[in-house]
Amino acid sequence: MTAAEVLKPPAVPAGAAWRGPSGVRLAWLHLRSRRVPAGILALAACGALLHAALHWHWAFNSGPYAQQVPLIIEAGAATVIAVTVHSPFGETERSAGPWLPCLRLLAAAGMCGLAIALLQLGAAGESLNDGVLVLARNVIGITGIGLLCSLVTGGLLAWTLPMGYMAFCQYALLAGWTAPWTWPVRPPADRGAWICACAVFTAGLLLFTIRGPRTRLSDPS
Amino acid sequence: MTAAGIPLRTGRATARRMACLAAAGRLLRLEFKRNAVPYVLPLLAAVFFFNTVRTADGFPPVWTLRASVITDHMLFEFSAFAGGLAAWVGSREGRRKTIDLVAATPRAAWARLSVTLAGTLSWLLLAFLAGVAVLYIQTALQATWGGPPLWPVFVGTAAVIVVAMIGFTCGVFFPGRFTAPLVATGALVLYQTGLRQALGVTASSGTHALLSPASAQSSVDTGVYHHVAPDLSITQVMFMGGIAVALFGVLSLAPELRQLASSGGRTLLRAALAGADGRLLRAVAVILVACGVAASWTAFALAGTAKPDAAGGWEIPALHSAASDRPVPAISACRSSSGFGVCVHPAFGFYLNDLAAALGPVAAEIAGLPGAPAGAKEVASVNGGQDVQSGISVNPPVFEFTAEHVGSMFGQFYGSQRDPVGWREGFQQGLLDAFLTGRPPHAGPVPILLGPAQQAVEDALLTAVGSQPLSAGVTSAGVSAAAQRFATLSAGARRAWLAAHLAALRAGKITPAQIP
Repeated sequence: MTAAEVLKPPAVPAGAAWRGPSGVRLAWLHLRSRRVPAGILALAACGALLHAALHWHWAFNSGPYAQQVPLIIEAGAATVIAVTVHSPFGETERSAGPWLPCLRLLAAAGMCGLAIALLQLGAAGESLNDGVLVLARNVIGITGIGLLCSLVTGGLLAWTLPMGYMAFCQYALLAGWTAPWTWPVRPPADRGAWICACAVFTAGLLLFTIRGPRTRLSDPS
Repeated sequence: MTAAGIPLRTGRATARRMACLAAAGRLLRLEFKRNAVPYVLPLLAAVFFFNTVRTADGFPPVWTLRASVITDHMLFEFSAFAGGLAAWVGSREGRRKTIDLVAATPRAAWARLSVTLAGTLSWLLLAFLAGVAVLYIQTALQATWGGPPLWPVFVGTAAVIVVAMIGFTCGVFFPGRFTAPLVATGALVLYQTGLRQALGVTASSGTHALLSPASAQSSVDTGVYHHVAPDLSITQVMFMGGIAVALFGVLSLAPELRQLASSGGRTLLRAALAGADGRLLRAVAVILVACGVAASWTAFALAGTAKPDAAGGWEIPALHSAASDRPVPAISACRSSSGFGVCVHPAFGFYLNDLAAALGPVAAEIAGLPGAPAGAKEVASVNGGQDVQSGISVNPPVFEFTAEHVGSMFGQFYGSQRDPVGWREGFQQGLLDAFLTGRPPHAGPVPILLGPAQQAVEDALLTAVGSQPLSAGVTSAGVSAAAQRFATLSAGARRAWLAAHLAALRAGKITPAQIP
């Protein structure tokens, strides 16, 4: 071995010079580190569960009770999105580049859209009480709560607040609450409910994009 | 061995046992301190307040009714958090990738997991029992009769334990970030599905759905006139306890089952279990699994034999005690105003004054007429498995009503807070319904409506005592006109006409046009 060989810079990987694929690779690595592929499987499982619940009439057909089981499954999908925000790298990742907020934004928004699509697919051909609009509103709003919760509890325990909100809404459904912030109990086209759900989602998404979930050194992967 | 050596050895063994216990105690204390459940308790308390306490507040303070929220509402939020948090705790070693690290410790995996499980279950049960205490203290301060039923508490405790066991086992075997939310979601879907099936259960469609801890009360006076048979609760506790015991046994096999999974099934289960070390532990685990499965299977089979009992509940012949069929002794709470006595069961004593005030004026309007009741009495709402409808008993003539059915109204004793005027008029209408039709109390479906002339007279009498006829919006013009005419008569004229035409009116031979 000569000194020239030692000083010779290592060969640049062929793909690194090409901006497009490196961006895609970055996004893919980001998604993998958040276990998004497994999250998509979990969302598909939620869709299948919704299909089974509607097909075999696990839920009531009409009245306030009819919304209960779909709401649980929608909240379940939202909690899956909430726990995918956890990063195994913590602080280290924040100093790695400027793209992290964009990746967070795209991942959370994309997962939310995918959750709505998969749940709607699960409900296709079955009679979903109040239809896809309420389904989408519930997923959007409860995901927002999960993202907000991740700022305080970290990503791994971000399922707790959405579950609590959903349990409260079960009471609100039966007690006939009409407040817009209890959007799961409102009719599909209710403007106040949509504003509340979207406001919570926007606030959660923005804060999550800017700050990221709470991280601790002891967090597991 | 010398005689002196025996006490020395015994002393060492005792010291070793004490050291073991102290170490286990330290582990448990650490687990209490580090457990995730206390951090979620404020959220759980908030949901408990809205979903359970406020629902219970809406019920009259009758013990059985208030206790029903334990299984019908409280278990809902506890299922979500018990399942999710137990899964979170159970997946700790897997999430933190310390399975290999802790495998080398001198303790068996079962002992390690048991401490974690005990810490989590202790917190969950503490929270659950604190919630029950809140409910029961509140009810004790308001109830006028009876005492706290314990079986709903046992069923609720068993349900919390089994959900936590399911979550913990899922966490141990499938550690990951999605385990906790998915277990919580699954537990809630299971709970709601069980409730849905239990509400629609009939003797002919199969009764296995009765194993669901969540099921609606059959009537507002359940447990008031007759004891609630504990058959179903025993079966539910046996079923859930069996699952919990079986899962506890499965936990001790966790290392072997993991090994089996990691080898892709190439190692036979028998080979995995046949390792030399810990054979006793594995034997105990297999016995626990077998006992748990047997208990659950027995409970499942018992639930299939359930049949409706005379008091509106369910009985299981193999577990049923004839003592629970005897009526509950109680002395009625009575009040008499202007000669019209009103009696209710002491459990509903808080309605007595309102009831006497509602029925008194109407009773005065018809007093002295043939078949007019001298008093009113509450009776059991279910008899021989059938709903009892209100009516006037013949000898002596007493208006008998139930907490569930008064005239065409139902659920009257569920509360008068929302619409006190409608509540009062419901009783007045029920009394007049029975008087104008001459119908005795009977078991069966809700009675048919009044005829047009009977309706007109009832509306007039209600108007005369200052109440709004309930049927004002649905009666025909002829009935309304007749009611107005009759109401404008003097009390004496109304009484005289009724005395002369009551038999014909009851027989339906009078038309609204014939009413003066």
